[in-house]
Amino acid sequence: MTELLTVVLNLTTPLVLAAIAGYLSERAGVINIALEGKMLAAACTAGLVGMRAGPIAAVIAAMLVAAALSLAHVALTQRLRIDQVVSGMALNAVAAGGTNFLFSRLSDQDRSGRIPALPNAVFWTLAVVVPIALSVYVQRSRAGIHLIAAGSDAEKARLAGLHPLRIRTVALIGTGLLTGLAGAFLVADTGVFTDNMTAGRGYIALAALILGGWRILPATLSCIVLGLLTSLGLLLQGTKINGGTVPSEFWTALPYLATVLALAGFLGRNRTPTGLGKV
Amino acid sequence: MIARIGWIIGAVLLIVGLLLAGGVDPAAAATKLVQSSLGTPRAIAGTLEQTTPLLIAAVGVFIALRAGLFNIGIEGQFLVGALAATQLALAFPTGAGAVAALLGGGIAGAAWAWPAGAIRAYRNGHEVISTIMLNSVALALTDYLVAGPLRDPAKGTAATFDLDPAARLPQLWAGPGYGISASLILAVVLVIATHLWRIRRVAGYELDLVGANPTAAPQMGVRVAPVQVVAMMASGAIGGLAGAVQVLAFEGRFYQGISPGYGFDALGIALLAGPSTLVLIPVSLLFGALAKGSVALQLIGVTKGFVTVIAGIFILIAAIVRVRREATHD
Amino acid sequence: MSYAVEMRRITKRFGPVTALDDVSLAVIPGTIHAIVGENGAGKSTLVKALYGAHRPDSGEIVIRGHAVTIANSAQALALNIGMVSQHYGIIGELSVLDNLTLGAEGGPFPDRHAARRRAESLAARLGTTLDWDAPAHRLSAAAAQRLEILKLLWRDAKIMILDEPTAMLSPADSDRLFESLRTLVAEGTTILLVTHRLPEVMAHCQRVTVLRQGRLTGDFPVSETDPDQLTEAIIGRRPIDAAARAVGETVQTVFDHGPNSAPIRLRVTDLALRGTGARAKLAPTNLSLPAGEVIGIAGVDGSGQAELFQALLGVAPHTGRLEWNGADISATSTRERLALGFRIIAEDRLAQAVVPDWSVLENAVLGLHRHPAYQRQGWIRPAPKRDWARRVADQYQARYASVDAPMSSLSGGNQQRVVVARATESDPQLILAFQPSRGLDLGAIQAVYTRFLELAAAGSTVLVVSFDLEELQRYCHRAFVMYDGQLAEAPDLRSETLGAMMLGQGFAPRAASPEVAA
Repeated sequence: MTELLTVVLNLTTPLVLAAIAGYLSERAGVINIALEGKMLAAACTAGLVGMRAGPIAAVIAAMLVAAALSLAHVALTQRLRIDQVVSGMALNAVAAGGTNFLFSRLSDQDRSGRIPALPNAVFWTLAVVVPIALSVYVQRSRAGIHLIAAGSDAEKARLAGLHPLRIRTVALIGTGLLTGLAGAFLVADTGVFTDNMTAGRGYIALAALILGGWRILPATLSCIVLGLLTSLGLLLQGTKINGGTVPSEFWTALPYLATVLALAGFLGRNRTPTGLGKV
Repeated sequence: MIARIGWIIGAVLLIVGLLLAGGVDPAAAATKLVQSSLGTPRAIAGTLEQTTPLLIAAVGVFIALRAGLFNIGIEGQFLVGALAATQLALAFPTGAGAVAALLGGGIAGAAWAWPAGAIRAYRNGHEVISTIMLNSVALALTDYLVAGPLRDPAKGTAATFDLDPAARLPQLWAGPGYGISASLILAVVLVIATHLWRIRRVAGYELDLVGANPTAAPQMGVRVAPVQVVAMMASGAIGGLAGAVQVLAFEGRFYQGISPGYGFDALGIALLAGPSTLVLIPVSLLFGALAKGSVALQLIGVTKGFVTVIAGIFILIAAIVRVRREATHD
Repeated sequence: MSYAVEMRRITKRFGPVTALDDVSLAVIPGTIHAIVGENGAGKSTLVKALYGAHRPDSGEIVIRGHAVTIANSAQALALNIGMVSQHYGIIGELSVLDNLTLGAEGGPFPDRHAARRRAESLAARLGTTLDWDAPAHRLSAAAAQRLEILKLLWRDAKIMILDEPTAMLSPADSDRLFESLRTLVAEGTTILLVTHRLPEVMAHCQRVTVLRQGRLTGDFPVSETDPDQLTEAIIGRRPIDAAARAVGETVQTVFDHGPNSAPIRLRVTDLALRGTGARAKLAPTNLSLPAGEVIGIAGVDGSGQAELFQALLGVAPHTGRLEWNGADISATSTRERLALGFRIIAEDRLAQAVVPDWSVLENAVLGLHRHPAYQRQGWIRPAPKRDWARRVADQYQARYASVDAPMSSLSGGNQQRVVVARATESDPQLILAFQPSRGLDLGAIQAVYTRFLELAAAGSTVLVVSFDLEELQRYCHRAFVMYDGQLAEAPDLRSETLGAMMLGQGFAPRAASPEVAA
């Protein structure tokens, strides 16, 4: 039973952190399909720094690198006004290719064994605390109201005396820090960095965000459900149900299928923030 | 113009910097890249082989882009198209079977793209998100089928049975141990046909109109939603065709991991090519050469991922330059 | 006596256009002061200068006796000046309460209970209440309007600028609004009301300033003026006959035109837009258009003219019946109506009429691209298309480098020449022309309307929306007026008649809109 709990926690933690990261970005009005790339870059950094400078430095470096990528994302979309989808795709490409190249060149070939990392429980705690704290903060604070205002209509927010660019920059730094944590966790959990180790988790997090209607707690709940489904898939692998087996790929595909249905409006109304993707 | 050159120089410096950070001599890498992709007839044939699926897939992305849609789902459409074509060609191991397989691949790709087009046109759900999700579903589906019901049990890896040579696309020209596939002609014909369709057919004109000014289109008697659905399905059909060609011309079977990311590269090509159909050809050749050269680059420690970085940077530079040009219009 | 607001000799230019020319304004504290004028008269520019959205080129602003400079809206707010713009600044995804306090929350962790208590007391001053926790997108237009005014109260605005506040309100809601405003005024608030509705001015305001073409043309205490005097100040008197003579023989025939015995081309019965909220923009409309006439539609902008055209063209989904030469075409698509000879000169050129990135050549066939002259079985015919593009571009002497040059390389006026020629030169049966003269010089305007008259003489029907009465008087056989989504035929084309109708005379008030739209 504890084993099942551990599996679920390990599957859910990076999803929750990345989904909350996506929340900050998309609520501020920036479509973020680059969660995947930011996580991957963070994981690579955590691996490279962790094997040399220890676990704490690894987490900090991972968060900084992902935050830097996020700032680049702000510059690309807000300053240079590149399409948010194009810039997100390009960032993912640079992250996927760059980590593949740099890790192979820079990793310490002689060392063996696990990369030193913080215990998983630290990340589990954060995955519980961050959504709850942020949810309360967004609801109670002026900053939370301003975040939503900037993401729904930047022009009206400006009329009310707000500074949408500043709000978006801060929100995307938050996105970077959280994806950094998520990436660092992947290395902490497995003890290694492997090529493309995020394996689509950034997209699943995005799916959870959409399934949760761009709200923190429902998005977190979606992450937990998706994590449960995946662990169920792992556990049920090969077991017969009514004389047949459910292929593990079915569980893999389920979150994505659910997202398509959600977008089609079959799972409640489409709650896309009105200002999403607009400059 | 100066700003544009500045951006390109910046991109080159970034790439060089990354190579130096990884401890690779940039000059050696450049020489190796050119040598291995264009240096010998065999290298050129290899580049053309890499170019073919990219060019077809890029036409698919391009058609959706002209209608104002991002089809990031080419990857998934490629996979379902490839697997559908494989099964058809296995069932009908003849030349006619090959034709049926090409058509079937296209139909499978179109079907896979339909939800994304319909959700965008009628439910206002972003096609980028839906196509990304459908990619993952396609990957899971084809992975399952090729590892399970459709697997050739004699093989050590998850792959289908091999196609009968009769059901494969012929070689146009065969050299010692390498050749040029007839599918290259197919790809080039597809580009030219698309070009002509856009400039000579009313439907092509209307597709471009929907992409260029979706609020003006209804005033001109062109309804936006059906055009978007059809454009997405046509885009998906061509993505599926690319998958079919990959199987029928080069692979001879379907296996897990058959696409090394053609969908992404195709998006890069279409974004770089801009509004002109014919420019897809040289840009695809560039990406094909990079793909071919990347194998040799690994010998000097430049992993495959490096080429992806270059593609990403190209896309950003093209986007920056294009936005700036539009800004100077005002 | 000290005025609440004084604007002295304000001049504001936008490039070559003088939007405000030496305009002065003085507002007595605790009054409602109306600013009236036609579209483009400079009303909005004047109040935006007061709110810090435009910097005047010259002139002086004095608030409560102190000369001030107002560089941005924040400074205006600091001087207790607030403004409700025509398009509300409400963010639908936030709650009503959060909208109220947005940008003035008073601390990083606002106390919502305290805010709510203050909100309740502010609302009570207006004699209203709102559902503070509801998402703001659920508010009706009237409730949104009240929220906007409460936002000003929240910020302690003592001088309130309301730009066309009743544009989206039913008469009953408008009455409630003015009731609230009277309360505020009684408490010492000063209100500047930009409006085009004279009945509002007469019923609720103490003083009225009239602008025409950026100049001050009237400044009266309301008690000492009447609608006729105001209408004259708004519209002015123009030497219509002299202008008409300048146009020549064609126009003379217009004025000699007797009752039309030509058959009815288009008969419209109970035309209304489909969809929630759409009926507010266009009341069920009846209309009969005979062949051989140029027919004007007067009215202030936003009275439903655009919606009428979109319904007639089949772009906006509609109910009701359309008969074309006796045949029912209610269910036909835009494409089919274009094939019947419907042509549009659309309201918003960049959004609806051209593709700026495309060449003049491709723009010339927009909407005609399925015409048999330019395609056969779906194959485009390049040569006729090119000839056509030249003809379209040259019809009104547009200046362009070549038909292959991008449309965006043409000036606005030259683009308009292409758009107009595309309609007039393609065998039109019915032209729906929305402000066809926009961006054109006098010579081109004359050429366009002369062409309209020629086409009418040859049996076509031309329906023209214009905000320039002079244009309609000179060139139209008769005119309708639109007011608040309703259409009525004008008995004659005199300025007094049209002006009074434009401002609502003779139109029935419309039913109140429901409080909360789902």
